[in-house]
Parts: sequence; C-alpha cells; structure tokens
Amino acid sequence: MSNWKKLLIEPLRKTNPVMVLVLGICSCLAVTAKLKPALVMGASVTVVTAFSNLIISLLRKGIPSRIRIIVQLVVVSTLVILVDQFLKAFAYDVSKQLSVYVGLIITNCIIMGRLEAYALSHGPGESFLDGLGNGLGYSLILIIVAFFRELFGSGTLLGYQVIPQSLYEAGYQNNGLMILPPMALIVIGIIIWINNSKTESK
Amino acid sequence: MKRDINSNGYIFLYATILVVVVAALLTAAALWLQPYQQINREKEKRVMILSAAGVNEDGNIELIDGDLPVYLVNGSIPVLPMQGNGLWGPIWGYLAIAADGKTVAGVTFDHKSETPGLGGEITTEKFQHQFAGKQVMDHGDVIPVEFDAITGATKTSNGVKEMIDNTLEKYSAYLKKFAEKGE
Repeated sequence: MSNWKKLLIEPLRKTNPVMVLVLGICSCLAVTAKLKPALVMGASVTVVTAFSNLIISLLRKGIPSRIRIIVQLVVVSTLVILVDQFLKAFAYDVSKQLSVYVGLIITNCIIMGRLEAYALSHGPGESFLDGLGNGLGYSLILIIVAFFRELFGSGTLLGYQVIPQSLYEAGYQNNGLMILPPMALIVIGIIIWINNSKTESK
Repeated sequence: MKRDINSNGYIFLYATILVVVVAALLTAAALWLQPYQQINREKEKRVMILSAAGVNEDGNIELIDGDLPVYLVNGSIPVLPMQGNGLWGPIWGYLAIAADGKTVAGVTFDHKSETPGLGGEITTEKFQHQFAGKQVMDHGDVIPVEFDAITGATKTSNGVKEMIDNTLEKYSAYLKKFAEKGE
C-alpha cells in the first residue's frame, strides 16, 4: 500500500517531471495562457502517460529491444489520436482550444521518459500508477502556471472575470507579457526556484 | 519452441502485427466517433452563421447555391462564408450584410491553430464586435473594410483583413444587386 502511495505522491513534488526533471517544458509554454486548456491538456497527458505505461509494461517481455522506441511511439501516438478523437466528439470546444497541442502530446518527453525509465522494467500495476503520478505532477505545474498567467494576463480565471472592473477604471492593466510564451518560462523558473529552496539538501 | 526476441524475423512479425492491430483500432474508433464529430461541426457552423447575423439560436438558415454559396438567415439576412489564412493555419468566418446592403450586420471568425491569447483573440466577442456597422459598399462599389488589429498578432490580423476583402471582392456582383434592392 505504501508503495502505491509513493508511486502516486512522489512525482507530485519530489520527482516532479517538470520541476525536478525539467521535462515537458515545451507544452508548458504552449498551453498555459489560459486555465481551461491547461486543465484538459493535463488530463489528456495523464491519461496517455498512464495507459502507455500500462500497455508498454504488459508488452515489455515481447518487445524486441532494437525497435522498442518505435513500438513506444506507435503505442503513444495511437493513444493520443484516440484522445484527440474523443475530445472532438465529446468536448468539441476544448479540443478546438487545444488544437495542435493534443497532437504534440506524442512528443512530450515525459511520456517517452517514463516508458524508457520505468515501464520497460516494472510490472503493469506499478507502471500504471507511475504514469498516473507523473501525469498528475505535470498537470499540477501546468495548472499553477496557467493560474498566474490567466489571472495577470487576462484578468480572468476559467474565462470568468476575476479582477473587478473598478480596478481597471483606477488604471490597472492586464500584463500582455503574461500571455506570451517567455513569461511561462519565467513562471516555471520561479516555481523551480521556490521548490529547490525548500528542498535543498543540507 | 522458443523464439529469439531479437531475430530479424521476429522483429518483422512483431512490427507487422502491431501496426495491423493499431490500424484496426484507430479505424474502428474513427468510424464510431465520426457521427458525433459531424454533429459538433454542424452545430458549430450553425451557431457561427446565426451569431454573425445577430439572430438567436432558433433562427432559420437557408443555403442559396448560386455561383457562390450564400446563407440566408430568416429569409432576409444574407451571410457570406469566408476563408483565409492566419499565421499558423486556415482561418474562416461568416459575414452578415445589413438590410441596407451597404454595411456589415455582424461577423464571426474561427481558426484552426492561431496562438491562444494573440491570434486566437479573433474569435472573441470583443474583436468581432467592432465590425458591426462597417461600410462595405460605397456608391455601388465594394470597399475594403478597416478595423483595429490585434497587438502582437499582426499576421493573423492581416489574414483577417485579406479574408474579408477577398470575400467582398468575390461577392461584389451579389452585393451590388443586394444593395440596389435595399435602396
């Protein structure tokens, strides 16, 4: 039981794929201008990492090692296409907002990283949890970054106006830089900084 | 019989089976989900046309297919479909002509892959609102539309302008006829 918990909890902070391993930064920049696409992207990546880990782990004894990367890519891209098709059928407006980024999940380094580092050498149950944990760790950072970017960049959260009109009348302005990708990098940098300063080993 | 997992034969067999299984899976999923996706697309198109015309959602749309397709909303408001190019991919939209035949009643835009927060802003009410009432006909001729572009999204804004101007140009014969009727 404690092992299960460890697999799920550790990637949230201690071995967080974004904060600690600094993987998957590319999509962190792309989809965090607004909170809603960040939430859906996080959920999609979590589903894909969990199930690709599970499938690769089930196949791991039969995969010829010379073509294992190709096999991994085939499995990941199949899952991504399925997620994309599902979003288009049942969450159309969100799928439109995410547009190309869903397809780019295929190239998300976290997924390949977990497959290579974990799923190929562990059982299906553990691999599934590991994928789930890492997906959630990624989502967590995505949500934090998107929260600040949408709040200060657009004055809204999930599309609802949060910063009151009276503040705008008093001269407050949305920070246009927050919407641009460089600011995502700076926000992630600050998150990593805070995290490192708190977990510094003595 | 124990196979060598790294022999060429096994690799070929493995890859072939994998690809066939995956292809079958994806085909099944695509066929199953297609009707749902089609409904979504139709619904979206309907909403875009109606909102360009400024009509609520139970409006009636009629497709008049002459040389160029025109959507007639509630039998009186012509809505022209537009297609153009943004920065990353296609953009499209609908342009409704007011009853006088000279001004824009409303527009809606959409895009495939413009940057969220920049080019993606063309889908917002805030951006589309400014088009209502813009003059498109002057003394029986089509004139280019002027509007406030989006800061940081010059390419997308240019794409929108080009798209509108091209559409007006293309439909100029239809618009002239419509304007004469309106006078």
